[in-house]
Amino acid sequence: MAILEGKNVTKRFAGLVAVGDVDFYLKQGEILGLIGPNGAGKTTLVNVIAGVYAPSDGDVYFKGKQISGKKPYQIGRMGISRTFQVVRPFPGMTVKENAAVGAMYGAGGKNKSAKEAIRRAEEILEFVGLADQMNKGADQLNVASRKRLEMAKAMAMDPELVLFDEVMAGLNFSEIDQAVELIKKIRESGMTILIIEHVMRAIKNVCDRIFVLHHGEKIADGAVEEVLNDENVIKAYLGKRYKELTH
Amino acid sequence: MEKKTLRNFLICGLILLIVSLFPLVSNNFIIRFGTDILMFAIIASAWNIIGGYTGYASFGNVVFFGIGAYITAVLMEKAGMHFGIAYLAAGGGAALFAVLIGLPVLRLRGHYFAIATLGVAEAMKALVQNLEITEGNSGIYLPMLDLSIQGQYYFFFYMMLGTLVMTLLVTYLILNAKLGYSLIAIREDEDAANSVGINTTLSKTIAFALSGLFTGLAGSIYAYQQAFLKPGPAFTVHTTVKMIVMAVFGGMGKLFGPLIGAFGIEIISETLSNYFLVAHTLFFGTVVILAIVFTPKGLIDLITQRKFGISYFVENIREHRI
Repeated sequence: MAILEGKNVTKRFAGLVAVGDVDFYLKQGEILGLIGPNGAGKTTLVNVIAGVYAPSDGDVYFKGKQISGKKPYQIGRMGISRTFQVVRPFPGMTVKENAAVGAMYGAGGKNKSAKEAIRRAEEILEFVGLADQMNKGADQLNVASRKRLEMAKAMAMDPELVLFDEVMAGLNFSEIDQAVELIKKIRESGMTILIIEHVMRAIKNVCDRIFVLHHGEKIADGAVEEVLNDENVIKAYLGKRYKELTH
Repeated sequence: MEKKTLRNFLICGLILLIVSLFPLVSNNFIIRFGTDILMFAIIASAWNIIGGYTGYASFGNVVFFGIGAYITAVLMEKAGMHFGIAYLAAGGGAALFAVLIGLPVLRLRGHYFAIATLGVAEAMKALVQNLEITEGNSGIYLPMLDLSIQGQYYFFFYMMLGTLVMTLLVTYLILNAKLGYSLIAIREDEDAANSVGINTTLSKTIAFALSGLFTGLAGSIYAYQQAFLKPGPAFTVHTTVKMIVMAVFGGMGKLFGPLIGAFGIEIISETLSNYFLVAHTLFFGTVVILAIVFTPKGLIDLITQRKFGISYFVENIREHRI
């Protein structure tokens, strides 16, 4: 059964159609890659799922329940967490406190005291490999660590579905490989993942399925190899030389 | 960690003991001065909850002070109630007002919030000036406290002290609970806070209500102490400015910052006005500006970091220059 499902999702900004009539679904436990050129509406779609925007038309369902129109914090507590493309840690807090806030208020936070949440945050930071930087201020981290913290914050919420919005942008090759490993590890822990990414190296490595947006419309949806060889996708996004470069 | 907390509690207890014994060895003038410091420490600490921790700089917190004072006056004078009841009603009334006014006003951010709260306080002043039950601009008298002169001085000092301890204790408990984390998260990035599952509207409203509660309690004691209230002084923007300056001077977003700020500002301004009869506000302004430039994180940062070198000040200037 689909854990997340969108039907005819449309988001218009004063006439501009950012996302137009898009259908999508995510199966329990899968990693779906969302790709497309800049301005295709990827982040808008994530914002619609996460409740930052209510869709202008259409509906989003999480585990069969309608979530479109709910507030971001309500959706976060139901079990969907997200990262921000431009990372948004709480700069005045330590790394540990950042993750702890996620643990306190996320899906698993209801029965946790502040102390239990802090312990949970420590576990998560261990998991993502930030344990040694736990007591640093969040504003003292480098880019790669900030992206990791952003992921830790989302995971500390104990979600069933995470939306990763370009968590690898700005990383070097070895950092990307580490991030890919981390995402695989996260999947093994039982979470379903939607990942927006421009880094093809990562997309090819982790995704079970790819979904392509162009000018707010879905132009392809299917297995990785199939989509990456699709005429339309190559024309709209990957570029003619993509095959020469990768093969 | 636990040991450090215990040590801090012991130090706080010791300071509290000294402060409680202080009236017994000083004269009435100094007790009255101490009572004023405690009052400003309460309202500055209450402002700290919404302005310092939550990051919503309220420029109208005096409205809670005035409401607390007027609820006390009206209940005691018109309804003949006991001060104890009026005191609780003042706090409750101010908190309730904070919830009601917070619903629309807390949707605004930054400068807009500051201006809106300023407007609320001015509007409330105008309302009180024109209501019959508050006796408008001519002012309202309160029943006198039935104690000896000495007893009155003690009563108000210990009421303020008790209220201050309660304010700081509640703030401390909040900071170690989930609510405290949510407030700081809102201050740091409200949208990100919302996305990690924090009901920001609820957290902000609670913070505003608590800020109103303690400010209202201070207003209540103030009214009883003055025994006569007029809308002008009770709702003056001067009080708001003072609590903000104290909180910033001492260190906002720090538990004891506003307390140290209230103490420091009152002592400095009192000393200056003793030496310079006319120009003391000029010197006072200069002191505040210097403090903000050199220690923007407040006096408390100086005390806790134990850095007194020039490099500390240079670093501060570099970090916070515009």
